[in-house]
Formats: sequence, C-alpha cells, structure tokens
Amino acid sequence: MGVTTLKEIENILSQEIATILSVDSSKVILDTPFHEMGIDSLSFVELLVFIEKTFNIKLMESGLTSENFRTVRSLASSISRMS
Amino acid sequence: MGIINFPSKKRYLTGIDWIIHALDYITKKATGTGNTSQIVLELEGSPQKDKFRNCLDSLIGKYPVLHGRPSRDYNLAPYWKISFTKQRQPLPLKISYLDNTSSEANIFSILERIANLKFIGNQEHLFFHLIYAENKTYVAMTFDHRLFDALGAEAFLEMLQNEWKNKDNSFCNKDIIVPAESAHLCNWRRKFIAGQQANRAFLKMGENAPPRVLPLPASLNNLGFRFKVIPFDKYQTDLILENAYKEAGYLMLMPYVLASAIWIMHKLFTKRNIKSGDYVVPVSIDMRPTDKVQQKVFFNHVSFLFFLVRPDEADHFPVLIKSIKQQLYDQVKSELPRNFQEASLLMRILPLPILSNIMRLYLKGQIASFSFSNVGESAYKSSSFMGKKILNILHMPRVPVPPGLGIFFHQFQNKLNVVLSFLEGILSDEEANELIHTLQSRLGAK
Repeated sequence: MGVTTLKEIENILSQEIATILSVDSSKVILDTPFHEMGIDSLSFVELLVFIEKTFNIKLMESGLTSENFRTVRSLASSISRMS
Repeated sequence: MGIINFPSKKRYLTGIDWIIHALDYITKKATGTGNTSQIVLELEGSPQKDKFRNCLDSLIGKYPVLHGRPSRDYNLAPYWKISFTKQRQPLPLKISYLDNTSSEANIFSILERIANLKFIGNQEHLFFHLIYAENKTYVAMTFDHRLFDALGAEAFLEMLQNEWKNKDNSFCNKDIIVPAESAHLCNWRRKFIAGQQANRAFLKMGENAPPRVLPLPASLNNLGFRFKVIPFDKYQTDLILENAYKEAGYLMLMPYVLASAIWIMHKLFTKRNIKSGDYVVPVSIDMRPTDKVQQKVFFNHVSFLFFLVRPDEADHFPVLIKSIKQQLYDQVKSELPRNFQEASLLMRILPLPILSNIMRLYLKGQIASFSFSNVGESAYKSSSFMGKKILNILHMPRVPVPPGLGIFFHQFQNKLNVVLSFLEGILSDEEANELIHTLQSRLGAK
C-alpha cells in the first residue's frame, strides 16, 4: 500500500471494524476501547489479519503494548509510525 | 397472532447443520441419546406456572419448525421437514416443587438427571422443566442441538420472554427466523477449493493421530453425562480478565481460557499415564454478527477452529498460550472457519453413517481430545424472565461421544460460568473435582 495519512488509516480501520461488527461505520468511535465496542478475541484477530494484509505489518508479535492496540486512534497511530 | 407462514415446508440444511446431525448420530449410536443440551435460567422468586404454560403453548404453536424432522430431497440435499397441518401434542412441561430443605446439590442433581433425558420419537426436540425451590425457580430447557445452537437456544428463551410481555416477536418474521436456506447446489468450484483448504488443515492435524483421549467405559449404553459447574462472581471474573490480559494480551480471553483448559487436561492425562498423541481441540465459534442472533434463532450457525497442541507445549503455560494465539491467527488468516462451512456443504450428500466414519478418519477413529467453546456474552438480553430477576444462565451440554468430555465457558451479565461435562465413567468424581479446582487456580480466581 502507498503512503497513507493517519486520517486515511483511521478511516480504513473504522470501515473494517464496522464490517466485522456488522454495524454502520458511523457507530465506530475512534477513542472507544475495542472491548467496549463488542470486539472479542476472534474479531480482534480478524482485525489484525486485515492490518497485515492491508498495511503489510504483523502486529501480533510486534512488541506493541496493549495501549497501542486499545482504540482505533491509538492503533492507527501505531500503524502510521510502523509503515 | 396465528401460525407464521413460512415460505416453504423445507428448510434445507447447511453443511454445518449436517455435521451437527452426524455428531448427533454418533452420540446416539454410542449412548442411546443424541447430542442434546440444556440451558438453565436461575430465577429469583417464582414465575406463574399457568402463565408460563400459556406463553409456551402460544409460542410453540407459531413455530411448526419445532416439530420438524430431517428428510432428504430428490436432489439428495437434506432438509428439515416442517409440517403445518398435523395436530400436535403440547410441548412437554414438567413441574417440580422442592421443599425448603432441598440443598443446591439436590437441585443440581435434578438438573443433571433432566439434562440426560431422551426425546421421544423423531419430532420431539424440546422440553421444559420448572423446578420451584425455596426462594428460587429453575427453568430448564432441554433441546436438540440439531434445532438450536447455544446462542440460538438463548435467543429462543428471549422469544418466550417476549411472548410473556405480549411483545411482538415479528422481528422474527417468517423470512428472518427460519430463512429460506437454498439447497446450495451451485458454485461447486468454490466449494471444492474450500474443501481442499480444509482437507490440508485436517491432514496436518492428523499427522500424529490418534490424538490424546481418555478411554471410554467398556459399555456405553444408556450412560448419562455428569456436570461440574463453576459460577464465578463479578469480582472473580474481573480477576480472570485481568490475568488473561497480563498473560495472553489485550482481548485474548478465548486463547487464555482455552490454554487453561488444555493445561488442566494435560495434568489429568499425565496423571493417568496417557502418553501418546497430541491434544486436538475443536472450538466452535458463532458465525452470526452479534446483533443478528435474534434473527437467526433456529438451526446451527457455527463453524470451527481446530487447535493442535503437543504435550511438551502443554507443559509450559506461556509456550501454550503462544502456540494457541499463533494457530488462531493462522486459521483466521487462511479463513479456515469459512472454508470449513463451505466445504461441509459437499458432505451433505453423504448418509450419516458414512459421514460419521469419515469424520473420524483423519484422527484414526477419534474426533477430538475434548470439546471446548467460549460462548461469550449471552444472547439473552433481558435481566428478567416472566417478571423474575435472572440470577444466572447456565449451559449443560452433553458432548459427542467420542470424546465424551468437554469444557465450556459462557458469560452472563459480565460474569463467567464454566461447565465441565463428562460421560459417566470417563472421570471419577474426585478427578472431576480436582479438574475444577485446578482450573480455578489456573484462572487465578481462587
């Protein structure tokens, strides 16, 4: 994937989470922790797989802390730094 | 509201439905009773039994699918035959009254006995028991897994609750509650490719087959299942979630509880001196979006992940967690659950005796070391049932035989419940108690 702005990454992640949860993307709030959105282990791994396929980044063993994963905003920020 | 008119008297079975039918066949052949389960609502107080009976009769009358039976089409696709015209007996409802000297243990042994009751004939798939104890009531719904999966059974109880509230259940109108499933007699290429992917995964799992299993009793006929239940309170559940976070990572509860289950089983198997084979654990996962369960109540909407753990991995918890997480990632990445769903459509052509043999081919006569699921938050959304507060919801599933052993996690109102289900004779009572105590310690809730 080419150079992507932080905003674009946030939008891409929001769209994917909306797809995973079968909700409208407007319901995905950037600063809501994933566990409060209804994301569970399986859907979280689906998101990580999506990130690997889209941004070519393997987050599972990346050494990122849980704070980096917690919200769309923090995750997008981590992806932006690693891209 | 009269009978809901369905678009068809045939609801074609999906591949997953047919797999569940095969598990039912296997278990019925082994023990005389099929793959049934029981869901129990523990209520504060006593709902009115006449009102319960009326609501139940009213709800059941609207859904003839509940009295259906499997059949096969001329094109060989199996379907659930729904009869609209036949006059039916009311759904079985038994009521028990316990005096105030009845202990929790006594109540539990009644629930255990009920969970092992057989259905009569091929069109009975559901019955209810109401157990009135001193300040509590237990509503036990025993159901055929061919008709409901775990979340579907919970959603059905919510329909009963809506019936009591005179709430329109028509969010589950004819096209949603029993959607007209197609016969899936197209897109063969996609199914075959999915079959290749699934086959590759199963062959890998069978490399060191047969898996590690507990020996079954010499005679299985009419053996029932025993259950051990751990209902954790909110404080204990929060401790477990915190430990999952620390040891497995953010949102990794499922790998954590699965690893804990394998870890305690490994201790048991080692103590029993069972040394050959790896641990193979299929994990059922719900394929419906969370808010769509109420629209797909009947039949099965699950698929499976399959975990293979070597005994040396099971010795060390951090290694075990890492292995499970990696397998979870790899299987989601390779879309194994979806491939399995798709490929299983090809299996429907097979009669159940043949399919049940094929299912055991990969693992040389076995299906798994034990069954497992982590259902997650309940599909029953209300906090009460027929005007009475729900204290807890428990699942008590019989497990396919083999392996005759399973561990199941479930959450209700942010509290975790664990159920150990085992065929009589496969574990002693002491071993079962030890497993439960070890699990509590492993989860960090003791």
